[in-house]
Amino acid sequence: MKEIAINAYRCKKCGKVHYPYHDRCMACKGRDFDTLKPQGKAKLISYTQIFNLPWGFDQRFLIIAVAEFENGVKAMGQVKASSVDELKIGMDVKASWEPVRVQYGEHVYGIMYTPME
Amino acid sequence: MREVAIIGVGIIPFGRRDEDSLMDMLAYASLKALDDAGLGEAERPVDAVYVGNMGSGIIQHQTAIASSLVDRLSLLPAAAETVENGPASGGSAVKNGLLAVASGYYDTVLVVGGEKMREVTGWRATDFVATMTHPQSEYPYGITLPGLAGMFTRLYMEKYGVTREHLVYVALKNQAMGTLNPYAHVEMALSREGIFESPHAIVNNPPIADPLHLYDACPVSDGAAALVLCPLEMLKKVNKLPVVIAGFGQATDTHTLQEREDPTDLKAVTLAARQAFERAKLKPSDIHVAELHDAFTILEIAESEHIGFFKKGEGGKAVAAGKTSLGGQIPINMSGGLKARGHPVGATGVAQIVDIVFQLRHELSKERQVKNAKNGLTINFGGFGNNVLVFILRRVES
Repeated sequence: MKEIAINAYRCKKCGKVHYPYHDRCMACKGRDFDTLKPQGKAKLISYTQIFNLPWGFDQRFLIIAVAEFENGVKAMGQVKASSVDELKIGMDVKASWEPVRVQYGEHVYGIMYTPME
Repeated sequence: MREVAIIGVGIIPFGRRDEDSLMDMLAYASLKALDDAGLGEAERPVDAVYVGNMGSGIIQHQTAIASSLVDRLSLLPAAAETVENGPASGGSAVKNGLLAVASGYYDTVLVVGGEKMREVTGWRATDFVATMTHPQSEYPYGITLPGLAGMFTRLYMEKYGVTREHLVYVALKNQAMGTLNPYAHVEMALSREGIFESPHAIVNNPPIADPLHLYDACPVSDGAAALVLCPLEMLKKVNKLPVVIAGFGQATDTHTLQEREDPTDLKAVTLAARQAFERAKLKPSDIHVAELHDAFTILEIAESEHIGFFKKGEGGKAVAAGKTSLGGQIPINMSGGLKARGHPVGATGVAQIVDIVFQLRHELSKERQVKNAKNGLTINFGGFGNNVLVFILRRVES
């Protein structure tokens, strides 16, 4: 399985975890960060199923969620499900690194969440 | 700092305006505002022009539109620039005009906001608006602004007990008001049965970004609106009662929703409102009429709570009880709001102020006019709440 190829950033001074990148820590305004990868399973913060897709997506709908990993990284991803009826806030999801769209004939990879329950 | 008056307003009917270019619309709204200010024939009516627009570079493949507009209107050599701040571009253009006049740097300023979004497909327009999402952590997933609003709605419903029925009340109220507004994009009243109660309502009103449905969202529109500003002290010769910008505030929040400690907390709305109220020396209960940024029905409810009209969790019930209708505690979106007037993104922040000026001059038909309205408020909500402007306007009686 491919590694989740995003980097999150933990402030060296206060420990706050950021994703995406900030040049100054949101909490203590420090400038030094350790990179970290999202780890473990994630919990759904919120989700939606969108039916009016932007240019570049040739499918009926997308399910998109934001979730928090066990090490505190919060990130958006697509969800592998046939309907939002299969989801609920706080449920565990497993993340994988998969194609999320096609651009100029090439796959663009991103986070894909799959419900664990 | 000088007190700044709005001495002219202009707006053109929003909607699908295939016959007009973006520049046509900006010019029409500008001329209406200049004429309203009595400056339409003046040799040099304004010192500066601020144009609010988000997407001409992407949609029309045309940039530097402020330079083009001053030339077309023969306002040379007035200073001119375009202000881009996502769906708050209009509000930001007004802010730039306000600061320029308040500081004493310029005396008369034209502010115009406009957008032409219907000349591309819905597919392209949705992508255009989504370009304001985070380019690495959001955009690649296909997230849209309705999608962000859907995620926000789900959390707001869970935390504060807002129901789909509350959202329906916002849609019904605003589209009913839109039928009375000659400048509204959608002049069609909705029925509760047709969008909610009937088992077949799902056909008319399908989900677009669950839990939001089609009639929870504003339409994609073309349109433009304009204002002329000058210092109140220069106004002795004007017969028309002026309206002043009594307070202004602006605040920002995280780019992504997931980085907010509480994603249901619209901090930028609260902070911008606090600044505007402090500056105006007013409180929420002093406001008689408001234009809130209801790009999605949930936002009218959430903003009405964050601005301080209602406690958290009470906004939905307030709409259902008629407290935000004409004659209620605080009439909201008597123009029809973004929901019915439409949302040409760069025009919205200016159009909201134009509508409040109509209210404070007491110029509207009795079906829309808030009786004796003296203080009005607007919220122009950029991004998904990451850049918010609040204006408070006051009628000057003598």
